[in-house]
Amino acid sequence: MTSKNSVGSSQLSVKQKQEHKSSFAEKYPKLDYFRFRAVNYLTSGSRIRQLIMRLALYILLIGLAFVFLYPFLFMIVTSLKSNADLSNFAVQWIPTELKFENYAIAYDILKYVRYFKNSFLVTSIASIGHIIACSFIGYGFARFNFPGKKLLFGLVILAFIVPVQTIIIPLYLTYSKFSWLNTYLPLLVPTFFGFGLRGALFIFLFRQFYLTIPRDLENAALIDGCGFFRTYWKVIFPLAKSTIVVALVLSVVWHWNDFYESSLYISKEALGFLPPRINSIISIVNAPPDQLFDLLANLGLEGGEDTLNNAVIMAGTTLISAPVLIFFAFAQRQFMQGIERTGITGE
Amino acid sequence: MAEVKEKLINNKQKKKRFHLTKATKDKLKGLVFVSPFIIGVILFFIYPIYMSVKLSFGKLDNIVGFKVSWIGIENYLRAFTIDMEFAPMFLSVVRDTLVRVPMIIILALIISILINQDIKGRTLFRIAFFIPFLLGNGEVMRQLIYQGVDKQVLSIADGDIIPYEILNYFGSTIVNAVQTVLGIIVTVLWSSGVQILLFLSGLQSISPALYEAAKIDGATQWEIFWKVTIPMISPIMLLNIVYTIVDSFTNIRNPLLEYIQSYGFTKAQFEYGAALGWIYFIFIGFVVAVVFGLMKGYMHTNEVEEVKRRDKQKQRRVIAIERKAKTRA
Repeated sequence: MTSKNSVGSSQLSVKQKQEHKSSFAEKYPKLDYFRFRAVNYLTSGSRIRQLIMRLALYILLIGLAFVFLYPFLFMIVTSLKSNADLSNFAVQWIPTELKFENYAIAYDILKYVRYFKNSFLVTSIASIGHIIACSFIGYGFARFNFPGKKLLFGLVILAFIVPVQTIIIPLYLTYSKFSWLNTYLPLLVPTFFGFGLRGALFIFLFRQFYLTIPRDLENAALIDGCGFFRTYWKVIFPLAKSTIVVALVLSVVWHWNDFYESSLYISKEALGFLPPRINSIISIVNAPPDQLFDLLANLGLEGGEDTLNNAVIMAGTTLISAPVLIFFAFAQRQFMQGIERTGITGE
Repeated sequence: MAEVKEKLINNKQKKKRFHLTKATKDKLKGLVFVSPFIIGVILFFIYPIYMSVKLSFGKLDNIVGFKVSWIGIENYLRAFTIDMEFAPMFLSVVRDTLVRVPMIIILALIISILINQDIKGRTLFRIAFFIPFLLGNGEVMRQLIYQGVDKQVLSIADGDIIPYEILNYFGSTIVNAVQTVLGIIVTVLWSSGVQILLFLSGLQSISPALYEAAKIDGATQWEIFWKVTIPMISPIMLLNIVYTIVDSFTNIRNPLLEYIQSYGFTKAQFEYGAALGWIYFIFIGFVVAVVFGLMKGYMHTNEVEEVKRRDKQKQRRVIAIERKAKTRA
């Protein structure tokens, strides 16, 4: 009873206040106008404060973005500089002339097409292997109870933590037993079994995603007479699209940039990859001047110190990272949405 | 009629014989799905791990057959007693990691919260923060750092941010700390792309209803951050910390790994290289375990798990009450 009474009284008081207000406005229209102005002024003041906060946020973010973009901008700008611009400290961001020749020289020294093919082949196959295998395995861990599940999942975590460098020697010997050395197999085959470059992380990522999918979908598929493998392939796997894109981008970038394992297993130069080729440019740029002309003559290039400089190295790095940047530009929209939906916090 | 009934019963029994129960089916399905990983473990994981451990405790008699004889922990002792280079290098790597990991986590968290706000050009900012990751830990970034790009950023971004006149008032330890932080902050920022994205995904998965409820209850932004945001992203925080630790230990710019590898391949002392590798791994495992232990108490658990836990507690209580009743009876 008491509570009801109190509610009633509060309603009454509100009504009274409203009446009071209206009467106040009628009695003193000028004062009411001033009150209106005052309230308006205060609220707009907080808006200004909001605006200032916003501005501070944007300035902070733009500053941070500049730090993050710096290597990229530095790379592009330096790659277009001429020799004179490089030694001129006044020229920092805008070169006096755009020297696109740097790219041509770097392209020749890198033997771009040949090594790009190798890198592209291995990166694409390995990351596809990661997607297929890790999503498959992750589904098994997320949905079914089977003997030894905890042990196996422990092994996944172990595989994630153990640095490759610790087991590299026996691994090397294993591959040499399989006579896989100087082929791409050591880099490709493990990815189809959930190993390879950080495969365990991808298993974990997919498992976490599958944990968030309701079981109703599988049950519906089961009732419709869909076998378990087909259920996975036709119902579950397509649902994981966002996670697939995330894993694909990470896998592609890691495989493209990795040279630790690849440099161990592959010693034939013809089978080498694009990123380590930057060393060929560096060695020529840093070569003593008397050898320089011979090196250039071997490559069929003209010129000397003034054409081979840091700008050419940066042009090389730009060329090397360009495929990944282009790939990311295409995958970006899906990737950014995917990151929001991976549901890694599902557990 | 009786015959029909018998037939039916027989059929039922037969069916029971040839049909697996749902639980066993689930087990088999699970094993089918995990089978690639099991094969992978057998082919690429168990043997190398076993061989590597064996090597670290032994002496390689013959490289051809890879025959190893047991000599005990001699290799491990060598790392700390005879080897003059390993221990200092190890300590410097550990110190580096202990400085870098918290910095990466905190900065990544701050940045991800900033980008998670309702701002214009959100996608553009996200792309910008991901670019250093694309350039990679690979040769490209190495080349950029070799050319001193990270130091240039500092000199542009904040010049001499703290004048020496002010630094002189503090003790040398503080000055050193500040200088190390400033010295690595740029590379720390550059290597936090993945962490930022992981945090973003965590922040996105927090239900807005929670924030609304907190606001209605009169919580300030500060309280909301500590009591809603942090607990909700604690699982991803754990993943992030573990990932960062592992990543910074296995980074190619890590001098210790090059050292270990030099024993493995160029100096052909496989046993010692393996022992160094395992010391390193044990340390990483230890750090990760400590992090797990520390975070476990603060972990936010899923509602479902919470409900399950409560159900179990209820069941226990019921059983206890029943027992009491029995004993009384």
